[in-house]
Amino acid sequence: MTEHEAAPPQPDYLDLVADMTRSFAESQDIDETLRRGLERIVDALDAEAASLFVVSPDGGAVTCHACVGPVDITGLRLAPGEGIVGRAVNANACQMVRDAREDPDFRGMVDAATGFETKSILCAPLAVQDECLGAIEVLNRRGGDGLFTEADARLLDALATSAALALMNARLAQAMVERERVRRELELAADIQRRLLPATGEGPAAVQGINLPAGQVSGDFYDVVVLDDGRVAFNVGDVAGKGMNAALVMAKTASLFRCLVRDTPEPGPLLGRLNGELTETATHGMFVTMVAGIYDPVWRRVTLANAGHEPPLVHDRAADAFQPQEALAPPLGIIADATGAGGWPERTVPLNGAALYVFTDGLTEAQLEDGRMLSADGVAELVRGHNALPPAERVEAVAGRVHGGEGALADDVTLLVVDDGEGGGRS
Amino acid sequence: MTVDIDDTGGVPVARIKGEVDLKTSPRVRKALLDVLKKRDTLIVDLSNVDYIDSSGVASLVEAYQTARKAGGQVSLAAVSQPALRVLQLARLDQVLPIRDSIESASAEIAE
Repeated sequence: MTEHEAAPPQPDYLDLVADMTRSFAESQDIDETLRRGLERIVDALDAEAASLFVVSPDGGAVTCHACVGPVDITGLRLAPGEGIVGRAVNANACQMVRDAREDPDFRGMVDAATGFETKSILCAPLAVQDECLGAIEVLNRRGGDGLFTEADARLLDALATSAALALMNARLAQAMVERERVRRELELAADIQRRLLPATGEGPAAVQGINLPAGQVSGDFYDVVVLDDGRVAFNVGDVAGKGMNAALVMAKTASLFRCLVRDTPEPGPLLGRLNGELTETATHGMFVTMVAGIYDPVWRRVTLANAGHEPPLVHDRAADAFQPQEALAPPLGIIADATGAGGWPERTVPLNGAALYVFTDGLTEAQLEDGRMLSADGVAELVRGHNALPPAERVEAVAGRVHGGEGALADDVTLLVVDDGEGGGRS
Repeated sequence: MTVDIDDTGGVPVARIKGEVDLKTSPRVRKALLDVLKKRDTLIVDLSNVDYIDSSGVASLVEAYQTARKAGGQVSLAAVSQPALRVLQLARLDQVLPIRDSIESASAEIAE
């Protein structure tokens, strides 16, 4: 553009390039701006027609997005590499054709269909660095010998470059709007999820939980519901997989639990009903591991049903021993008739001052500073270390240990305690 | 982690080697589901799996469910101790067909 050589000085053209670049930069409506740009290009080059083609994102085909001249070809689609436009896009270089009929790549279908007669062609790629977004094609110079010049080619190249930048900007702006929309939706989803879980500190002091999502949305959940007879129903669940799919299954399972627990509080039949609902609308590979239980503060015991979940630990403080409660049946959502009519097998565990810890693999598989996984033994160790804290503060302290405050978690972490100790269940 | 697919005759076999975790399980999932696009039976050789996490297990379950829906079968064969421990802990041994060897899994599917 800064060359002086044979071309005569063209102050008007420089103004045109500057002016068009400015209007492209300020554009709100990219299609309309490109069409007006084409009008000015047709005037500046004294041509009969011009069209702007854009490469579709799904492949090499190009589609006409804007055109000026006697024939409207907006929407015309060319196969990859087809015509002079395809050649300019493939070569990512300006093409000058003196006589279209002599050029083997020229496709005369528009001429044939409309009676328009294409003679000379100038076609410049919409290039941004090595990427070609499309091309601007200008047809039939009116004045002189009817042929485009090298100076015309340089001008069109300059205008095409600023149009390409405008197009790129519009796409980036659109992508930003889309990202912002997704971010807002994720925020909304995260907010809905948080409302499905009780807050730590809420509810009975003896049964407390915490959930730390790894991303914005979580596939883990827990709930605590005080039944009319004074017993406390609870659950901890983990949806296999990550992201929005897992979050939606989590929302469904957590809502179902809250909905069904008043009617069917016993954990075995409850898991059976949840499994029935989940398998009915199951997505492949989406299963849910879950522990459901009921704490009876009068009889000082818990009844558990474990659907393929990480074994909860019973901490017998008097003996300083941890006893794992392994799953007796598979996770929910895989097969409809997994356990028969009675639902998931139950197990009743006397607590008598002991505490039960139910957690997800986000806790046991959390990486420590030295790269090792925390493991169930590590959980027991942390529990021992924070034994003196009240239940709500204890779960915060144990889960906070793997959260570390800085680096993001690899997986959601959920931990729930049922503490039958002094000041626990009977407070 | 590698997945080798042996589909040269009889029931196709997917041999998984190494650690199947959050990072590598998408490759396992894709490899198994790709086989099940063409075939309705598959044996997954887990003899060389050193570690598998819940995302890896989810890939196996998804393959199992996909085959089952098409009236086919996915069997796990020669499952390594660490992988077997994870499957047993989640009681998935009650759901997924687990066989001692590729031969026995293959003979069962052929019946």
